[in-house]
Amino acid sequence: MIKEVMDNTFNEEISSSDAPVVVDFWAPWCGPCKMLGPVIEELSNEYEGKVKFLKVNVDNNPVVSQMYRVSSIPTVMVFKNGSTADTMVGFRPKNSLKELIDKHI
Amino acid sequence: MDDKMSERYDLAIVGSGPAGVTAAINAKIRNKKIIIFGYENLSNKLYLAPKINNYVGFYGISGKDLTEKFKEHLAEMDIQVTYERVDSIYAMGEYYALMVNDKTYEASSLILATGVSFGKPFKGESEFLGRGVGYCATCDAPLYKNKTVTIIGYNKESMEEANYVSELASKVYFIPMFKGDYDLNENIEIVNDRPVEIIGDNHVNKVILKNVELETDGVFILRDNISPDQLVPGLLVEDGHIKVNRDMETNLPGCYAAGDATGRPYQYLKSMGEGQVAALNSVSYLDRLSRQK
Repeated sequence: MIKEVMDNTFNEEISSSDAPVVVDFWAPWCGPCKMLGPVIEELSNEYEGKVKFLKVNVDNNPVVSQMYRVSSIPTVMVFKNGSTADTMVGFRPKNSLKELIDKHI
Repeated sequence: MDDKMSERYDLAIVGSGPAGVTAAINAKIRNKKIIIFGYENLSNKLYLAPKINNYVGFYGISGKDLTEKFKEHLAEMDIQVTYERVDSIYAMGEYYALMVNDKTYEASSLILATGVSFGKPFKGESEFLGRGVGYCATCDAPLYKNKTVTIIGYNKESMEEANYVSELASKVYFIPMFKGDYDLNENIEIVNDRPVEIIGDNHVNKVILKNVELETDGVFILRDNISPDQLVPGLLVEDGHIKVNRDMETNLPGCYAAGDATGRPYQYLKSMGEGQVAALNSVSYLDRLSRQK
């Protein structure tokens, strides 16, 4: 399951998690984001209980997007202990995302 | 909706040069449902070749005549080339999604036969990709609201993108890489100079040109041809060529590559041989897939 987060709930969600947090920065007008969506959804089911999955709509949440300098979407970030541990820009196949996440478990 | 889109093809071939055409013919012989994307002249490189002496069996033939032979062959086998440009291809796991303008095609397997015509990246381009450098201005424009954007444009379409960005960004520089009339909004500054390097710290902050330097938050590079790893995100590319093994397999399951796109030598017969190997292995892959179901 992927939880939708906003500017005002982002920090709380990131810092309250002991598990790695994967954040999908997306927007409704972005084609590659639409393709990545179902891939991330599948991953969130596979990693249930081990990794937390969040998504941020960059249109509605400029503060978080600016803070992490998201300049191209989709961008997937992995957070550990409240800070960014990895970033992946653009669509990636499921296996590449798995590799990225597995590094941090 | 076009009914072409709702069905899933067994195999999509991107490119109609010698590699793509050979792949299509061989996959068709094996009775697979295929779609091949390309051009009316099939391959401009071939079409414009004055004389070919190393194509076995056709000593001294012109590129134009050989193209005609290819076309006849395709027609005999009832293969139609789809004259559409594939913008991007996504590996969805079980299938590939091919984006063509506002349409999506689906195929279980893929052969990339796109040739080589993409330019070399600028210094700093790959380094800052996703950290200020992008290839789709209209996609990422909203992220540059009230910021400075530089567009390096190689074609007319890049001007449309620049105009769109100029409605959101506070400042837009346009560096034209082509000659002609520029149809740009008034608030866009045209910079007639040659880009040399993109620099920054964590993020892009400058484009260095031969004579000037531009302070900028983002750079969009809008070329005619995109490199294979941009076309297919996640595809492994080495020294500008798609990495393949002897079976013409790439690093993505079910995705093959053939022809100039895989590396030197850039020759018709090499491309065709690779196209054939790719098609036959794609057929085996498809058969394995259907057995699993």
